[in-house]
Amino acid sequence: MEFVSPEGLRLDGRRPLEMRQLRAEIGAVSKADGSAVFEMGNTKVIAAVYGPREVENRAQQMNDQALVRCEYTMANFSTGDRVRKPKGDRRSTEISMVIRQTMEACIMTHLMPRSQIDIFVQVLQADGGTRSACINAATLALADAGIPMRDLVTSCSAGYLNTTPLLDLNYVEDSAGGPDVTVGYLPKLDKVTLLQMDSKLPLDTFESVMQLAIEGCKAVANYLREVLLENTKQLEYRRGS
Amino acid sequence: MVGLSVGETNFIRGGIAQDLRCDGRKRLSYRPIHIDTGVIPQANGSARVRIGGTDVIASVKAELGRPNSAQPGKGKVSIHIDCSATAAPIFQGKGGEALSTELAADLQRCLLGGKSGAGAGIDLSSLSIVEGKVCWDLYLDGLVVSSDGNMLDALGAAIKAALSNTGLPKVNVIAADATSSGDQPEVDVSDEEFLQFDTSAVPVIVTLTKVGKHYIVDATEEEESQMSSAMSISINRKGLICGLTKRGGAGVDPSIVLDMISVAKNVSENFINVLDSEIAAAEAREEE
Repeated sequence: MEFVSPEGLRLDGRRPLEMRQLRAEIGAVSKADGSAVFEMGNTKVIAAVYGPREVENRAQQMNDQALVRCEYTMANFSTGDRVRKPKGDRRSTEISMVIRQTMEACIMTHLMPRSQIDIFVQVLQADGGTRSACINAATLALADAGIPMRDLVTSCSAGYLNTTPLLDLNYVEDSAGGPDVTVGYLPKLDKVTLLQMDSKLPLDTFESVMQLAIEGCKAVANYLREVLLENTKQLEYRRGS
Repeated sequence: MVGLSVGETNFIRGGIAQDLRCDGRKRLSYRPIHIDTGVIPQANGSARVRIGGTDVIASVKAELGRPNSAQPGKGKVSIHIDCSATAAPIFQGKGGEALSTELAADLQRCLLGGKSGAGAGIDLSSLSIVEGKVCWDLYLDGLVVSSDGNMLDALGAAIKAALSNTGLPKVNVIAADATSSGDQPEVDVSDEEFLQFDTSAVPVIVTLTKVGKHYIVDATEEEESQMSSAMSISINRKGLICGLTKRGGAGVDPSIVLDMISVAKNVSENFINVLDSEIAAAEAREEE
């Protein structure tokens, strides 16, 4: 199948190095301590953060740092075909763990010992890159909750199809069987905190694909920073100072 | 859950007794309602309903299926509700399952009528394509994204809005009389022509929550924590009762039940009008 046309356009009309439209909104869940909606094209996720609060299960309490927990769920209607999946299948358990580890790496957990932070991400629409979208949404929700972080961790994926590196794969490109590199990145510290790839790729190509994903992360970070700044301005305006 | 002090409890109860609730509402008034339709592009119809801090999404997916042998002339509808962990941490893992099942069962009772399908708010015979052979299976999925009380009413409203947003593809039967009786008739699903789903008969659900001697509509989570019992009544446009559920531990005097029903009926008239105008506004916004 041809994923990049001779004119250099992808199936959804993007250029190979183009991202999908980003949209983010802070404060979608009124009861949560922090929440955000994040959209990458047709992929749409909601993240809610509760905490830092008392640890529910005392056995899990840590005396030197906060406990970070994460749950990833997909809505029944999020995919094209309606499939009923029981909660906690292997795929969502794995993604929950990935998100938890990525967020734990950027939260300053040592500042909040003996407490617990819950991150819940809910996929409303899945069109490839849910992992990345969830991490970006979780970052925004954590920032909204006012939880101290080292940096805004952002995530983006890149792939390699028809001998062309492609940024931000959608579902069709993702299921094409080519390599899919997902990167989590701390833009200010210039550090990669998450790196996953399936399929195989020559080493020198991998480097350029990973670099492309990192560039994507930087673009997302810029956008998230804009959204947060705008949100803070709104809050300041509402306070009337 | 909600942790309230004695003072807060008294404040809520006292406010309800004096017909002035914490957010300034009267006992029988709703919080502002906001509806968006077409929020899930993959679905045949979808809607997001926000009533105050409660935020729910409903989607309708239609698939071709075989009708039940007991009811050959009717389609099938199934309702499934999920309480997302984003709404409250207690819903994580399997924590929301009990509530989800209860809500789904209540909605089923309120919208789909009895086991025989009699008295259903959704006209099941309109889903039939070839009697006994092909019909539409509607899957109604609800998702509670954020909860601040009154989830059942919000879900009922979301399903009503999602159904009125639903377009079922027109189905042309090519060979109705298949040679042998076991064969499925050939059908052609049009991807251009859509039939609007008739939702004029779909009821709304009004929940009256009894706190102290009085009952209120559209209770917030804090108010729900003070309830002794609650009555969910589904009423259609004609003012007929389509279903009824009582929740909560305390018993209710039969005369109060009748009183609650008549109050719910009065409230529902206004609620249906508000919903219809919000749905129409949402549809108009979507078309722009």
